[in-house]
Amino acid sequence: MNAFSSSKASGKKLALFLLLTPFALHLFFLILLPHLEILNISLRERVSYGIYKFSLMNYEAFFTEPLYWRTFLRTAVMSILTTAITLIVAFPVAWYIAKVVRGRTKGLLFLACLIPFWVSELVRTYGWMILLRETGVISNLLQWAGLAVGPVEMLYNDATVMLGLVYTSMLFMVVPLVSTLDGMDDSLVEAAYDLGGNGWNALREVVIPYAMPGIVSGCIVVFMLSLGNYLTPILLGGKDSLWFTDQIFTQFITRFNWEQGAAFGVLLLILSSLIVWLGLKLSRQSFSETMGR
Amino acid sequence: MTSDIDLSCTDLNKNFGSYQAVDNVSFQIPRGSFFSILGPSGCGKTTLLRMIAGFLEPESGGITIKGDSMLGIPPNKRPVNMVFQHLALFPMMSVADNIGYGLRRRKMKASEIKKKVADALERVGLPDVGDRAISQLSGGQKQRIAIARCLVLEPDVLLLDEPLGALDLKLREHMKVELKKLQQAFGTTFIYITHDQSEAMVMSDQVAVMNNGRFEQVGTPQELYYQPDTPFVAGFVGESNHFSGQVVGRNGDVVEVKTASGQVFHSIERIDTNLAAGDEVELFVRPEMIHLSFEPENKPENALEGEVANILFDGGNSRLLIREATTGAELQVVQPQTTQFRDVKAGDRLYLSWAASQSHIFRARGQSQTPALMQTVEE
Amino acid sequence: MSVMITGLSTRGGIEVLKKVTTAVTLTAGLALSVSANAEELRLLTWGGYAPQEVIDQFEKETGIEVKVTLSNNEDMISKLRATRGAGFDLAQPSQDRVASAQQEFRIYKPMDMSKIDSKPYIQSMLKSTQSSTTVNGKAFGVPHVWGTSGIIANLPEGQDSYRYTDLCSSDYAGSVSYRLKRPTLIAFAFDLGEDPFAAYNDVEKYTQIMGKVEEKLIACKSNVKTYWSGSDNLLNLLRSGEVTLAMGWDAGGWKLGDEQENIRYVAPESGALGWIDTFVLPARGQNDEAAYKWINFVNQPEIAAKITASAGQFTASAEAAKFVDEKLSKKYQASFDQAALDNIKWYPPVPAGLEAIEGRVLDRIKAAQ
Repeated sequence: MNAFSSSKASGKKLALFLLLTPFALHLFFLILLPHLEILNISLRERVSYGIYKFSLMNYEAFFTEPLYWRTFLRTAVMSILTTAITLIVAFPVAWYIAKVVRGRTKGLLFLACLIPFWVSELVRTYGWMILLRETGVISNLLQWAGLAVGPVEMLYNDATVMLGLVYTSMLFMVVPLVSTLDGMDDSLVEAAYDLGGNGWNALREVVIPYAMPGIVSGCIVVFMLSLGNYLTPILLGGKDSLWFTDQIFTQFITRFNWEQGAAFGVLLLILSSLIVWLGLKLSRQSFSETMGR
Repeated sequence: MTSDIDLSCTDLNKNFGSYQAVDNVSFQIPRGSFFSILGPSGCGKTTLLRMIAGFLEPESGGITIKGDSMLGIPPNKRPVNMVFQHLALFPMMSVADNIGYGLRRRKMKASEIKKKVADALERVGLPDVGDRAISQLSGGQKQRIAIARCLVLEPDVLLLDEPLGALDLKLREHMKVELKKLQQAFGTTFIYITHDQSEAMVMSDQVAVMNNGRFEQVGTPQELYYQPDTPFVAGFVGESNHFSGQVVGRNGDVVEVKTASGQVFHSIERIDTNLAAGDEVELFVRPEMIHLSFEPENKPENALEGEVANILFDGGNSRLLIREATTGAELQVVQPQTTQFRDVKAGDRLYLSWAASQSHIFRARGQSQTPALMQTVEE
Repeated sequence: MSVMITGLSTRGGIEVLKKVTTAVTLTAGLALSVSANAEELRLLTWGGYAPQEVIDQFEKETGIEVKVTLSNNEDMISKLRATRGAGFDLAQPSQDRVASAQQEFRIYKPMDMSKIDSKPYIQSMLKSTQSSTTVNGKAFGVPHVWGTSGIIANLPEGQDSYRYTDLCSSDYAGSVSYRLKRPTLIAFAFDLGEDPFAAYNDVEKYTQIMGKVEEKLIACKSNVKTYWSGSDNLLNLLRSGEVTLAMGWDAGGWKLGDEQENIRYVAPESGALGWIDTFVLPARGQNDEAAYKWINFVNQPEIAAKITASAGQFTASAEAAKFVDEKLSKKYQASFDQAALDNIKWYPPVPAGLEAIEGRVLDRIKAAQ
């Protein structure tokens, strides 16, 4: 009996071990190992052909060369702005999907949010370019309607970059918002009204605090996606578009300067984590609570 | 008391498409009373409550609170508060913040809010839970906080939408008493809607029985129980044995009724005094009104014979299920708490009898509404 | 989408797409080398250099299956660097990028010239490519496709000739495009009267030249509509008329010339920049025999002509001209008279470290407002 139960317990352990193994392997080989390698590369300096020594030079370069840290700052600020705009645009949409419509329409609206992801990001971005370029659809429409005298160029500026990023990020904000708002009892809002609140403070004191975990997880995802986006800022931003991932790419691919690129990669990881941490502190949310929901 | 009317509704109507949810309802509620609206689900009681709260506007009719018309006034401007079915306590706020929510909306000073909240907690008997999260409270504590959250605003009328529905039986019994005590302590007018007749009967000063959007009868629990105005009330409030038949004759106010299978009953008419031979009628007899004996009674007004089919033991509320001899229909009869009947067992032959004044007779409606709860004897 | 399809058939067309995949493969390590089937040739090349028709014919004649991966210069080097020369049996970087990459990363193996059928080659091109790809006395590359960068103009009454610095002229303000990459820096250096190639091994001099170029490009940055990033991108801008003057590849200019008469490819006064894409053997390639077979196969004049038709670029096969479409030959002749042909500036091998200097210049231009 004893032997049986102990073998049963060890069997359970084995099952758990087997279940966790693919995850652990994935974690180690596909996430931890590459990052350690990147860290290793970032900490060396090329001396001559194939000879390297330990150095913090690549990290120094980030802080001493204004172009680099300014690019990062610009990327971070634009990503935060994108996140804020996405939240403002997505919240009513999520509210509508979660609380107003029912049944089929709900599914259809969700689908509508998903449709942009059926084509690759490249095609999506080209779609925007076709719409917004000087000889594009909107420019022609404006001229046809007599609202513009000559062709209007709407590409290649920061506002367009933001537009593209918001468009790409919408789904990632809508989904967590819908899932938290779905769980909210409608009578909470009614109770807020009933107790003398108006729409604004029902939103501020009841709905937003309730949806906070969804808001925070949506914001983290959107912020990280925007910060790490490459195509949209480059294609829509034109000649002045400075994006940190472009710096990393340039260092790795066109300069063959893996050391500098790796240092940028590590810095991006650290600094973006820092920003997310700050955001969590400010919104008084804990990461595990937010992601656990 | 009648001069102080807190809430008055006149000719209220509400449709959802072609469906008439509330049909010409009028009533008045005196200040400080506990008023229940009792009805099966879908009878329109929630719609009525939401119109009073301001979440729905009536199609026609008027609602006045303390003499002021409430039509067109949004819920946040009405002197009415509501305890929701699932309580709707704000889960992300502390208990104290929940109770203070309405006070903050009134731009009250923080120190004053603190005082009022503490006071309200005291009065619902939970003085120390102010800092707790809602999720840390038990079911009964949540009830009391939800009520405190409304009462702290000193509303003219407190609406309660079946708030006890989610509690387990024991706690529900306890909370019934608790609610009644709270209402008396605060002296606020309560309007309580429920489908549970026992909740309504135990707590209320007045009960309105609602069916198909209409009020069937408004009265004290005793009136509803002993003098039902309609067959629906007779069937829905308390339990009854039910017979259908035809008037065959009358003797003063005692009506003689014959069922399809030939049984003859006598009943005193009370509501409808114009019953004549040939009228279709329905007859209700409460289980506790039926007298049992082992020997045939001497000339009872109503008599039946049957054998015990089942014993439904429930302590003092035990009942016998008796299969009637001629039709085989089952009747519920209260088991007398006497030594003679304590050892009764299935198969025993018993004689049933009751006086004409102990049954209720009603003219049958076009399509008779027979609530699921009542015991029906079909011939 | 037409944008993408045209992109795939031109040099550097899918640069953007490739960037993304490269970034992904880089981070993933790509250390897994797949063992090659003996009857398989894994070719790392540019769009249009291995048309399906040629692949089919090769398979039929040799029984060797060709697996094509499309790429560009930087991507090829990065891929091979990440795997230390594994994963492919044959690659096609430009001749000026072979020697430095080999010195730095040792990603290639020497070419066995005895296995190359040298007869069909333009001999001068074969020789110069061999010498420019020589490291430690061993040659690493043979030429395949060549072409030039110059000016593409979309103007109804265009000039006969252009200079690179015309891209800074206020006549074309707001409708100019070029790549923010090293060819642009080199082109402007020549136009400003310098010889950057001569200064390749003189860091100080080269830095000074690049400084001059930087100043010029920052000063006229407002002229630029956008920096193009792939040839499909550029072709779209020119086709729509949003850009009227651009620096770009000859094939792109000629292709657009077919569509719109106004669009011409012009060899600038200071000389078009000539590049040669080579064949090299990755250090850990597993099927050299098949690689040599492919090299010799595609250099047969008729096959080479097919590649010219597909890529829009000419090859190092001397006799191929006979088989090339007449229309393309005419456009080639219109763009290059003998003087222009002699004036082509062929890229010499890029010494290591040069990219760092250029990189900083490019960064500063990009960041300038």
